Amino acid sequence: MVVDHETPRLENGQTDKEVEENANVLQFMDSMDAYLTLIHSLSSTLRRGWLELASARHSMGASRVNTVLLDHTSHPAATSLLVTQDEGKVDSGKPHFTLCKWASSSNENSLLGEKQSSQDKLHPQLRHRGSTELYEEKTSSENKASREVDDPVQKERSKSLSMFGTLVSPKLRAAQLSFEH
Amino acid sequence: MYGFEAMTFNIHGGYLEAIVRGHRAGLLTAADYNNLCQCETLDDIKMHLSATEYGPYLQNEPSPLHTTTIVEKCTLKLVDEYKHMLCQATEPLSTFLEYITYGHMIDNVVLIVTGTLHERDVQELLEKCHPLGMFDSIATLAVAQNMRELYRLVLVDTPLAPYFSECITSEDLDDMNIEIMRNTLYKAYLEDFYKFCQKLGGATAEIMSDLLAFEADRRAVNITINSIGTELTRDDRRKLYSNFGLLYPYGHEELAVCEDIDQVRAVMEKYPPYQSIFSKLSYGESQMLDKAFYEEEVKRLCLAFEQQFHYGVFFAYMRLREQEIRNLMWISECVAQNQKSRVHDSVVFIF
Repeated sequence: MVVDHETPRLENGQTDKEVEENANVLQFMDSMDAYLTLIHSLSSTLRRGWLELASARHSMGASRVNTVLLDHTSHPAATSLLVTQDEGKVDSGKPHFTLCKWASSSNENSLLGEKQSSQDKLHPQLRHRGSTELYEEKTSSENKASREVDDPVQKERSKSLSMFGTLVSPKLRAAQLSFEH
Repeated sequence: MYGFEAMTFNIHGGYLEAIVRGHRAGLLTAADYNNLCQCETLDDIKMHLSATEYGPYLQNEPSPLHTTTIVEKCTLKLVDEYKHMLCQATEPLSTFLEYITYGHMIDNVVLIVTGTLHERDVQELLEKCHPLGMFDSIATLAVAQNMRELYRLVLVDTPLAPYFSECITSEDLDDMNIEIMRNTLYKAYLEDFYKFCQKLGGATAEIMSDLLAFEADRRAVNITINSIGTELTRDDRRKLYSNFGLLYPYGHEELAVCEDIDQVRAVMEKYPPYQSIFSKLSYGESQMLDKAFYEEEVKRLCLAFEQQFHYGVFFAYMRLREQEIRNLMWISECVAQNQKSRVHDSVVFIF
């Protein structure tokens, strides 16, 4: 039996390399678990969305909810992915992903991106714990920012649904929300 | 004169009334629906339907079946029955039967115009049109740029021409204008159908007035709910309501200013026939409203068959078949999507 005297061993007999490998495996398993949970959540949300779409078709009629009404005119995507690097670190190797919803609207900045940055500025609750008054000010500012974001989002939602008509059933709107989630 | 139809109705309408009552006996029963709701696949549904009057229409369809195929073939059966009745009918029954299809004609016109706006192929659009609403020059709709052209090039020679007087503009056809056009046409059609039935008089006028009034009221509620949170103004919303029905005119004035479903409920609960419908719903909920309205409609349509010697039975039969097809569509979708627990959400039993 060959005993490797050069690599220092820990108290439980594992080397640094083995510890690192175990940590990587655990991280992989955690990521896989998170991935499977997300897949399951996506699958159930999509199932709900498809049933709500069928319900909307039942309510509005087959002539109003139809594949032939889908818009084939050229229009930008409703959702885009913004990939950025860490600021100040050119070769950080860790990109940041931000989903930009309704980025194709008249707003050049992504509305969800704005919402995220505004939330970060107004609600850094993990870093600074202020008084109740300060919290209420932040909450009202956050609500105002949310309302300002919600109206353009609502407009974009209505614009997407307009291919099925302007006066659509609440069931179709519910289906849209499910697919959006 | 009302009450004396028994003396003369059977001369021209007796055969067709017998035919339609025979067709009514072929509508699916609760036992049929229970069997269908237990199916695991669309092929099982096809197998159960093969024992019904839909059998000959589905037997040659290859597997795997699609829900749209089932709906198309069942609709084909309804179309065949309708065409047989139409070709046997004399005036004024033939005009009455044609009136029943004008709603589908309006839907087809809007489908073609909307699809063209979205740069879809005309042939593709024609395949999706309802067969009861087809007319000769329908494909020419694709060339129109605004409503004036729509009327001048195509619709002037169709039965929908009189309904266009209220919505002819030179504005381009966009989503909002198309929606307003759809609802304006349907409003004009319902009012015209109502006047025609009133002119016929007798039991036809009495029964059809009730059925069309219910249709007008239901449309008013749906327009109100669907327009909440949209750009449609109160005045525009008010203009889309029909000028008859139980809700006309005071209910319409109140519905026009409603901003949420609970306000709609508060308006409708003042009218006893609709109080029972809204009592089935919980506050803030509108998902089951369609089913509640369909159930009430089916009840009224079935009552039309309790009386003889009137044309309402033809209208009632067509609507009951359409409800049956909606039921089959919903059951097929639940089976195809493996959501059988939700199948009773929207099925309305007829018998």
